[in-house]
Amino acid sequence: MAAFAALVALGCSGFGQRPAWEDPPPPPREGPVVPAGALHRSVLESGLQVLVLEDRSLPRVAMGLLMPRGAASLPPEQAGLTSYTTELMNRGAGERDALAFAQAVDALGGSVSAGSGWDTSVVSASGLSRDFDALSALAADVALRPRFEPGEAARLRSQRLASLERAKDDPRTLASWHLARLLFEGHAYGPPQDGTPESVAGFDAAAARRAHAGLFRPEGAIFYVTGDVDTQRAVERVQELFNGWIGDGAAPGVSAEALPPPPEGRRVVIVERPDLGQATILIGNHGISRTAPDRLQVQLLNLVVGGGGFSSRIMSRVREDEGLAYYAYSGFAMRRDGGMFLAATGTRVPEAGRAVGMLLDELERARSDPPSSEEIEHARSLAVGRFALGLETSDAILSALVDLEVYGLPRDSLDTYRSRMRALTEEEVRKAALDRLHPEHAAIVVVGPSQALRAQLEAFGPVEVVEP
Amino acid sequence: MRIARILLAVALCAAPASANDPLDDLEDPADRLRVTKLDNGLTVLTLENHTTPVASFQVWVKAGSRDETRYTGIAHLFEHMMFKGTRRLGPEDFTRYIEGRGGRLNAYTSRDVTVYFEDVTGETLPLVIDLEAERMGHLDLTQELLDTEREVVLEERRMRTEDNPRGLAFEALLALSFRAHPYRRPVIGWRSDVEAVTVEACRRFYETYYSPNNLVVSVVGDFDTEDVLARIDRAFGPLPPAESIPRNPTREPEQKGERRDVVHFDVRAPIVTTAWHAPATGDPDGPALDVLSTILSSGRSSRLYRRLVNDEQVALSASGGYWELHDGGVFYGMVGVRPDADVERAEALFFEEIARMRDEPVSEAELEKAKRRIEVGLVNGMRTNHALANRIGGDWVSFGRVRPLSERLAEIRAVGAEDIQRVARKYLTEQQRSVVRVVPAPEEEPAS
Repeated sequence: MAAFAALVALGCSGFGQRPAWEDPPPPPREGPVVPAGALHRSVLESGLQVLVLEDRSLPRVAMGLLMPRGAASLPPEQAGLTSYTTELMNRGAGERDALAFAQAVDALGGSVSAGSGWDTSVVSASGLSRDFDALSALAADVALRPRFEPGEAARLRSQRLASLERAKDDPRTLASWHLARLLFEGHAYGPPQDGTPESVAGFDAAAARRAHAGLFRPEGAIFYVTGDVDTQRAVERVQELFNGWIGDGAAPGVSAEALPPPPEGRRVVIVERPDLGQATILIGNHGISRTAPDRLQVQLLNLVVGGGGFSSRIMSRVREDEGLAYYAYSGFAMRRDGGMFLAATGTRVPEAGRAVGMLLDELERARSDPPSSEEIEHARSLAVGRFALGLETSDAILSALVDLEVYGLPRDSLDTYRSRMRALTEEEVRKAALDRLHPEHAAIVVVGPSQALRAQLEAFGPVEVVEP
Repeated sequence: MRIARILLAVALCAAPASANDPLDDLEDPADRLRVTKLDNGLTVLTLENHTTPVASFQVWVKAGSRDETRYTGIAHLFEHMMFKGTRRLGPEDFTRYIEGRGGRLNAYTSRDVTVYFEDVTGETLPLVIDLEAERMGHLDLTQELLDTEREVVLEERRMRTEDNPRGLAFEALLALSFRAHPYRRPVIGWRSDVEAVTVEACRRFYETYYSPNNLVVSVVGDFDTEDVLARIDRAFGPLPPAESIPRNPTREPEQKGERRDVVHFDVRAPIVTTAWHAPATGDPDGPALDVLSTILSSGRSSRLYRRLVNDEQVALSASGGYWELHDGGVFYGMVGVRPDADVERAEALFFEEIARMRDEPVSEAELEKAKRRIEVGLVNGMRTNHALANRIGGDWVSFGRVRPLSERLAEIRAVGAEDIQRVARKYLTEQQRSVVRVVPAPEEEPAS
């Protein structure tokens, strides 16, 4: 405490100095995200790629077996089958039925779980590092030896149908379902990832078994490990568990069908929920794929428009100036074959029309009154800072590296991110606004009472009212 | 810290020996905590951690909704106003400066505390310190900004509560379970109160509770402690302390019988929630209640999942958990009933599982499994600077010290099957419970 008394004295003499916000920001620190040599990368004979990133700071380990094939690899008639299959994989594998498997995982205090996204399916596991062998064995059972018992399959089908019905209680889920339907009708991106009552009704153990065979094969697969584990031991363990896993040499990816053309003109859909006091609003158009050459420009653009929190235009106008909403944002969801741009907010029902008008106006303004130099510099700084925060843990770093593999992006992308971000010109960002925002062809979804909403929304395009 | 160490030694002796457990050798970063108190009463907790170039800065205000007097929701509405400008900063400048450096910032209000946090790269800490001190000492409140922000909060209330079945259930549950204590009020406030809050009331709340002697600053990450302390002293040191911090004296009287309420809402999946009165933060029964709730609802082999979700298929989710609060906790249950299931039956099965906790000792296997899950959770909770800052700030506000990891492990390891049965019998009684259902309104009889 004596030392602090000296500080107090110093502090007094320093009082009156300029506050830090009046100083120019210090330059961000540079350096590789992963120090040279820290990441192990090898490929087994079967094509399975192994990534290991040691991190001895805590006695824990996290791993995953990831397939570059997900929900989008099945046609829309089978919507939900990927997610049904990966969930059923969790319900009995190897020598253990569903209960025995759950008990084995829970006894370790860890987690072992299969799941899926649009472009990937994964079996992930984590727990204490001393349980590495047990956790990896359970993960391998789930990936390679799921039991697909008919009783469990029927139970899961029934649960999935009930969950789809419950999801209608959530306005934001409803809005996202209907927006995807409007933008991608007839494509795998159209229906929800968990499927529809019609598609789910046909799922059974045999369907899951077939889907599993298509998804879980070594071509393009990646096994990743991070944590308090010796790299050599981790690689040996993967070999022990997966050496006999041989594919038939089929192409790693499964291409989905071509995207439908973007909708012509605007469409407005009201999802009928007469009880709600707040209208949930989503406005979207076709976006870009994860590998689009202008993805960085688009990221910067979006930070200005609606992805940059309170400093973004949409938030600033809808919430700060007008007090219309608690949340207001925009984003680009980027997937392998394309993606979606969306802007979102929620406001009291009588103001819904005004809020929709404001969002459309901001999208139009991004094109006609393009981001200023100051806005772009702010967004650039935001992007670089967020990048560092997003890579605080080794789990996050490894996950970002795996993502690059999945989409075939350059392996040095993390290390070059800051310089690429700095090299973007203002002109490139402005061009991205013209190329990628299309308010004139937007699909507009509003969840709430149609009786109060219809008249407010008719100005924006033909209105259709649908049941949830 | 000396007293804490002695207590710890006793606890370790009492715990069953577990040979070669790597967690026993785990270095607890909190052991390196440095505690500094400024002359104006501000407590500063600093913990250097140079594994990544980032840092978390948190200001814990010892004021929450329990401290409100005339207007419910003022603690939370006021938290929003803290982003609205000061004598030297315009509205949202605070956020723009931090976001302009890529920082992540937010705040939350609970029944007991209000917490402001910034997760930033290390070199941004001086900016964060100056900005936080500026708004803790020199907030500028105007009628116009309050009126706009009031609308924002009412939209938040619609989203989280009025249009949200779980939010409705929770609001009704706390209002039912607590009859006298301010915990009965929703943190976001009753609508009519939020609509009526005045600038003057906000100013009084600020002057009363946002004084340095009612704040704890917690900083973890990539920085030099001497530099950061000097900066904090320069920025926060001039703020004057409050002479006294008033607290609400109300204590909750004993509950003498079951209470029930029903909320009608357009839901497809009804909800059944339950609350039992449970001990306050830091009670010796806490660890047993934590283990009990883990056995009930953590993992796919947990009792509620197996019985309600898997075997009987009456629910899509079912959980029970111990929620610590400074003036008296709550053990809550939440059952997400399937749209095709009977609410009565789902509720009955839930209470059967609670009764089993009272009537039969849990098995050794269940006990060990639950303890392991809690232990792994403690390790996972040390992964980020934000989580560490949260732990030391939260502990300091609750206990006036940071509980060492080894102490918490020892407490959990010491829980036996008989402890679980004892706390279940003591707290999870029919007399002490309050039950709220959220269900669709009964269909109206057609007019004849």
